Amino acid sequence: MKIRSSFNYTHTLFILLGGVILLFLIAPLAGMFLSVKAPELFATLEDREVSESIFRTLAISALATGIAAIFALPLSYILARKKFPLKGLLEAIIDLPVMIPHSAAGIALLGFISRDSALGSLASSFGLNLVGSNVAIAMAMAFVSLPFLINSAKDGFAAVPVRLEQAAETLGASKFRIFTQISLPLAKRSVVSGLLLMFARGMSEFGAVVIVAYHPMTTPVLIFDRFNSFGLSYARPVAVIFVAVTLILFILLRIYQKRKC
Amino acid sequence: MLKIDNLVYSIGDFNLGPVSFSMEKGDYLAVFGPSGAGKSLLLELIAGLRFPASGSVCIDSKEYVNIGAQNRPVGMLFQDYALFPHLSVFDNIAYSLRLKKTNRDTIEKRVKELSDYFSIGNLLKREIESLSGGEKQRVALARAIAYDPLILLLDEPLSALDDDLRAEAVDTLASLKRAGQTIIHVTHNRNEVGTLASKNLYMSGGLIK
Repeated sequence: MKIRSSFNYTHTLFILLGGVILLFLIAPLAGMFLSVKAPELFATLEDREVSESIFRTLAISALATGIAAIFALPLSYILARKKFPLKGLLEAIIDLPVMIPHSAAGIALLGFISRDSALGSLASSFGLNLVGSNVAIAMAMAFVSLPFLINSAKDGFAAVPVRLEQAAETLGASKFRIFTQISLPLAKRSVVSGLLLMFARGMSEFGAVVIVAYHPMTTPVLIFDRFNSFGLSYARPVAVIFVAVTLILFILLRIYQKRKC
Repeated sequence: MLKIDNLVYSIGDFNLGPVSFSMEKGDYLAVFGPSGAGKSLLLELIAGLRFPASGSVCIDSKEYVNIGAQNRPVGMLFQDYALFPHLSVFDNIAYSLRLKKTNRDTIEKRVKELSDYFSIGNLLKREIESLSGGEKQRVALARAIAYDPLILLLDEPLSALDDDLRAEAVDTLASLKRAGQTIIHVTHNRNEVGTLASKNLYMSGGLIK
C-alpha cells in the first residue's frame, strides 16, 4: 500500500524562507530586551522624563487619532460609496504621507505651522506658538498616520452592502442615521483596525515629530536624544520600556477588539 | 392610490419607460417579465431610491417624484431581504418605529402584533444570521410593514426560497393581501403570482407591454 507523503518540498522551502523573515523581525527586539540589565531598567522606570514622555506620546497619539477620525471617517465613506472626477488623484494624495520621507513631511508641516504661515500667524494672534508644542506633535503624528485609518475604514465601508443602506432609507432613515446606525457599525472591525493602526503609527513617529517639536519630547525623540547624547546603553532601556508598553497596550486592544467584533 | 405617469429613467445603455399605470387601494399588482426587463428598477423608482429623468409618481393624490425614499409612504422587501445583520430580529422590526420616535410600549405592542401575525414570536431575540430563508422573509415583511406603509413593494420575494418554503411564503403574502395591503410584486416567474395577483403587468426592455 502506498502511503501518501505529507512532505512537500515547496512548503518546506516556504517555511524556511518565512522563518528567516520572522527571525529577522524577532532577533533585534529579543536582543534588545536581553541586553538590558535589571538595575538599568528599574532606574529608567523611575526616571520621570521617561514616564512623562511615554504618557505624552500615548496621549497625543490617541487624541490625534480621535480628532482625525471625525474628519477621516466621513471622507472614507465618501471614497467608498461615490464615484467622482479625480477620485484616483485624491486617493493618491491620501497615500502620499506613506511614500514621502517623514523628515520631508516634518519640513512641510513646519512651513505650514511656523509663525510666517497663515495658520501660525493666526495661532500667534491668540498667543500660541504651534512649533514645539503638543499641537505640532499631534499634527505630525496625524499627517503620517492618517492613510492607515482612511484606507482601512474605506475598505470596511465598501464591504457594507448598499442594499442595507437602501433598506434603511426605505424605512425612514436619513443619510446621517444610515451612516451612524448601519454603515459604521457594520464597518466597525475595519474602522477599529484603522484607528489602532493610526494610533500605533502615530506614537512611533520620529522623523516628522522631531522637526516640528524636539521639545516637549515624545519617547521616540527621547530615545534618539539619549542615543545621540549618551550612547546605546543609555537609550536602550527607554526603548525596551516603550516597546513593552506598546506591546501590552496592543495585546489588550486586540483582545478587546476580538471580543467586541 | 398609486398613479405612475410617463416615468422615464436611463442608466448606462438601458432605458426605462415611458411607463404609466395606476392601481387602487388593496390591489395586488404583479409585474413580471424576463431578467433585465427593468422590473427592479421600476420598484426603486417608486420607492424613491432612484429619481426619474421625467414623469410622475403620485400616491394618494400627492406627488412624490422628487421626494426621497426616507419620506415616501412605501415599504420594500428586497430580493435578499436586506436585514440588518448587527441587529436582532426585534430591533430589525422595530427599526422604522424607533426612527419615528414611537414610544417604547407602542413599539413593543406593534412588534408583538407583527410577530404573532407572521408566526415569528419565538425568533425576536435571535441574530439574523441564525434564521432560515423562510424566517428571514417573514422578518423582512414584518419590518417592511411595521410603520404601515401605504404601498408594499416586493422584489422577487420568493426567489431566495426553497420550493418547500415557497407555498408557505405565498400563504403569508395572500394573508397580507386579504388584510387590504396594497402590493406590487415583481417577479420573473409568472406562475408564482397566479393566485395572488389582482392585476398583471408584463415588462420587457424597460417598457410595459
